[in-house]
Amino acid sequence: MFNLFKNKNAEKESLDKILAKSDDYKCIDYFNQKTNVSFTLKFLTTLIDEKTVQESILPYLLEENFKEIDDAKEIIPLADIQISEDISQIEDKLFTGSVLLTVNGKENKFCFLGARKEIGRNVSLPEVEFSVIGPKESFVESLDQNLNLIRKRIPVKELIMEKLTVGTLSKTKVAILYIDGITNPENVDTVRQRIEDIEFDEITDSSYIVQIISDNQNSPFPQLLDTERPDRISAILAEGKVAIFVDGSPHALIGPTTLVEFFSSFEDYYLNWILSSFFRLIRLFAVVFSILVTPVYVATLSYHYELIPQDLMNTLVASRRAIPFPPILEALFLELTIELLREAGARLPTKVGQTIGIVGGIVIGTASVQAGLTSNILLIFIALAALASFTTPVYRIGNTIRLMRFPFLLFAELWGLLGIVVCFSFLLTHLIRLTSLGRPYLEPLYPPRMQDLKDAFIRLSFDKQRKRPFLLNTNQPNRFHKKAAKDKKDIEDE
Amino acid sequence: MNSNVPNSKKISPFLVFFLIHTMQSGVGILGFQRIIAKTAGYDAWMSIILTGLVVHILLWMMFKMLKIADGDITSIHTFVLGKKIGKIFSSFFILYFCLFTITVLRSYIEVVQVWMFPELRTFWFTLALLILAIYIVFGGFRTVAGIAFFSIILPFYIDVLFVVIIPYSDFTNLLPIFDHSVKELLLASRDMSFTLLGFETLLFFYPFIQNPERSKKWAHFGALFSTMLCIYLAILAFGFFPEAQLQKNTWPTLAMWKIIKLPFVERFEYIGVSNWGLVILPNICICLWCASRLAKQLFSIRQKTSVTAIAILCLIATSLISTRGQIDLLTTYTGKVGFYFNFIYVPLLFAGTLIAKKVRNREKHT
Amino acid sequence: MRSILKLITSVFLALNLIGCVKKEVLDDISLIEGIGFDYIDKKNILGTAVIPVYLPDQPPKKTTFSTKAEISKSILQDIQRQTADPIATGSLEVLLFSKTLTEKLGILPLVDAFQRDPSIGSDLYLAVVDGETKELLAGQYGIRGNATYISKLMEHNIKNEDLPQSNLELFLGDFYQEGKTPFIPQLKQIGKNKMKISGIALLKHGKMVDQIAPDKMFFFKLLVDKYSEGMHRVKIESGEAAVRSIHSSHNFELTKRNPAEVTIHLKVNGNIDEFTGQELTPKTIQELQKQFEKDIQKECLKLIQHFKDKQIDPVGIGHFVKTQTRNFDFKNWRENQYKDLVVKIKSEVKITESGVIE
Repeated sequence: MFNLFKNKNAEKESLDKILAKSDDYKCIDYFNQKTNVSFTLKFLTTLIDEKTVQESILPYLLEENFKEIDDAKEIIPLADIQISEDISQIEDKLFTGSVLLTVNGKENKFCFLGARKEIGRNVSLPEVEFSVIGPKESFVESLDQNLNLIRKRIPVKELIMEKLTVGTLSKTKVAILYIDGITNPENVDTVRQRIEDIEFDEITDSSYIVQIISDNQNSPFPQLLDTERPDRISAILAEGKVAIFVDGSPHALIGPTTLVEFFSSFEDYYLNWILSSFFRLIRLFAVVFSILVTPVYVATLSYHYELIPQDLMNTLVASRRAIPFPPILEALFLELTIELLREAGARLPTKVGQTIGIVGGIVIGTASVQAGLTSNILLIFIALAALASFTTPVYRIGNTIRLMRFPFLLFAELWGLLGIVVCFSFLLTHLIRLTSLGRPYLEPLYPPRMQDLKDAFIRLSFDKQRKRPFLLNTNQPNRFHKKAAKDKKDIEDE
Repeated sequence: MNSNVPNSKKISPFLVFFLIHTMQSGVGILGFQRIIAKTAGYDAWMSIILTGLVVHILLWMMFKMLKIADGDITSIHTFVLGKKIGKIFSSFFILYFCLFTITVLRSYIEVVQVWMFPELRTFWFTLALLILAIYIVFGGFRTVAGIAFFSIILPFYIDVLFVVIIPYSDFTNLLPIFDHSVKELLLASRDMSFTLLGFETLLFFYPFIQNPERSKKWAHFGALFSTMLCIYLAILAFGFFPEAQLQKNTWPTLAMWKIIKLPFVERFEYIGVSNWGLVILPNICICLWCASRLAKQLFSIRQKTSVTAIAILCLIATSLISTRGQIDLLTTYTGKVGFYFNFIYVPLLFAGTLIAKKVRNREKHT
Repeated sequence: MRSILKLITSVFLALNLIGCVKKEVLDDISLIEGIGFDYIDKKNILGTAVIPVYLPDQPPKKTTFSTKAEISKSILQDIQRQTADPIATGSLEVLLFSKTLTEKLGILPLVDAFQRDPSIGSDLYLAVVDGETKELLAGQYGIRGNATYISKLMEHNIKNEDLPQSNLELFLGDFYQEGKTPFIPQLKQIGKNKMKISGIALLKHGKMVDQIAPDKMFFFKLLVDKYSEGMHRVKIESGEAAVRSIHSSHNFELTKRNPAEVTIHLKVNGNIDEFTGQELTPKTIQELQKQFEKDIQKECLKLIQHFKDKQIDPVGIGHFVKTQTRNFDFKNWRENQYKDLVVKIKSEVKITESGVIE
């Protein structure tokens, strides 16, 4: 980073100087009366667990037979002790919670004593991807703790963790996880390469990484799946994908991913395959409905009145009669109201947020219908569309879907149904062109792969899930060995 | 030649099915029944079978030629005619594909103007479609094939929906069969060939197929499917309309939609016409792609530049054509050019390739 | 920020430029649901359009506009001058023609405009009105508006009763089909707010030449429709029964050429709805079947003979013979062969159920 310090000694001096400006920097001299050695401890109080210093470091240094720096390893009962002569390490170590020990007069050799203070929350319930059935733990901000959760679920030596550091200021630790022998090394290389290439100063969350390493940064579609569920990560690692953990972020990333994966909740795997397939189809229907219903309403009412069945005509015309705006303004007005409610609900504390949602939904809805600003039919459509957009199990894609409605609305206003088709074609092309870590995003739809359809729109039973996704081109395409074919039993055969 | 195309840019062989089929089912399919019934009456469905058979033979010839020359049409031309003359011949196809694009675009916009929006401005709508097409072509041939794939899969429900009109049809209209002379049937076959045009694009995208040997059967399936679809639509239209009424309808396929009534949609043709935009889209893209790829191979222009240039050309040409008469003229000419290219030039070229191969083999021996 | 502003302005500019497709916002148009045409004199016709005004929580309020013109589109143009919102024909449901108009001018020139207009669906009912359409449309029928009333009236009669299938598409189909005469239902106003189907009008070259009385409609439907339902009363010695056809089929067969002889096979499966006699024994059922078969034969032959006399062919025998003959000469058929045509009817009635009472 700031390679301002060319000269080594000068480096140490200026480090001292800069550090001295911070009040949490302590540099204390001690004297061991037994051996007549005076030594110095340097540390940042904010990063150090003082209890460790008081109980596991100082008593031994002061009372044991401490003569040279090398003795530290023998007398101090700590696991993380490192002796070094490399001055350039000092800064790194100090800032990751080590105590620097030097013996006065022999400053060119020093010892780092790990005494990091751990402040973090405990493993808690998943909040974004809640599920009724299945494990109830979710990732936290600590990288080690997260990795621990994964290691527990995949206790094999083939689970590889590679650590990288990114961000010139944040020095964020990033871990790449994959299973050796299953995951295609190409994917791992792509991820590693892209993370190494990151040029940014402050990486605060995995969301930064998603956006920076995406294949197409100008796409509203998320190209890596993020999850807070350890069970999901471990299952997906077993499929042969690569996971990325970022220190300080409770969300891990998975790639390569496909569009359909964003519409599968992990609960799908905890339910019987018939049920989960049905729910998946409902969710997909909800997505299509949520994107298209208002544009189709606008298109039909503005251009294609012929499409409306005779029996519906009375209701529709009667509800529209008093409204002074064209359908597009009416639709935009309501869409924006819903967006406002959502935004307000997201910003406010949970309890207030709920109240706002109810008050806003009911009061504004009924009032705007009574005031003749919107038709009640459209109100029903918009509310349903909003509801449908919240059924997406991955939060990120839900946002994308809500955004998608607006270009569709504009095109519907422009050319009616024809406009919707044009806009749809643009969307389709965009999706076909999109890739995730170089793999097609729309797979298994395009390129069409029958094999991967077993876990896309529907999820077949586990004995049909023998093959790993073709998309990943894994080193070991079979998840388990097929048992020798059983004879087909007839009725009442044993 | 083949080695020019990186493997990751190639498409799997069975997508050839969609590429061939989508090129054959464009705007033509909306109104071919009237044209073939003009000469062969309601025996014309036999002409479709005949044309279909010829298409299969031509496809077989194309695959043979492509295998011998190992490449696309430019390599065939070089193989048969030599480098310089080959280049001149190949460059005609840029114009051919421009013409094809313009015809497809203009005919579709005419349909929209007649059925949905009489006030639709040709220029602006063409612009939107061409921007879309450019966006697709910029994605490479894989994206083009993807659009072809979805343009068959997504509107497939329309083909099925035609079942609704069966109660309104009287299939005895088709009787008696063989009420027309062989000459009339042959003439109708020729008219039918305009609708089934488009499979010649195989000559251009052949190097982009992974394992081209295996794509043969898919190409034939694609052509077969197009023929079947045409027969299906023709028989439906023949049953639905009496002969005199069919001649009155410019777009019988569309007119049949008028009777389709679903519980939530009173009139289907608006949905159908809009959806047809997706059906013709790959036609435009494949043509643009072929033309620009030829330009790249012949004159080494960057494909991005040539796509844009060709699109602008098509945009100007399309917006200049305005009346029904002009569109008719354009369609007829494109049909003729396509007919001569496919049904006369390709067999000639095939013969040429075989001769050239023999000559070379002899040269090698001596 | 500047670039975003530029983008927004350019998008709106583009929208203004491109978005010049004519809008037809549902509540800003007058939807014509039905049009009636009346005869004035040789050149002029009177058109009456029904335009409902939809109101919340109420049945639509009916308004009609009448105007005199020479062709149907100029009627619409003239109505344009009377309405607040531009009129739209897309949800047209019925076209009515007065009997005098149908007899004197014919309906073809009027129908042409509707056949040409892409916004009009094919599932549109045509009907002849015994009387003036203006008067008929002045009444208030049902609660869903007059046009909807008429279309629903015809719909359920086609579906369950003895009215043969008929709409714009089928009318045009029959019209263009050589060797077939088109027909459309006939309506009659029978009170201030009441109307009924009063038969079927047969049109030759668009002009009404004959009509089928309501009591003959059952047999007519048997002859022209693939499937038909409806009820017929059969009289035998021991009583009178109402037989409802639940399934029927008709088949033509060309049994002889020169002169042509066509056999029409009619099959009816029916239930007994009502029986006035003492007891319904298997024997009486047998008798009923026999009698029904006889009725069908007699009535159908009568109808066909009548058509032959009138030189019309709503059953489509000409078309049928054409499908059986190569190089068929319609001119010859119309002028010579049709007169000499022999038609035989073979009917087969099967009574399957007789209600829940023994």
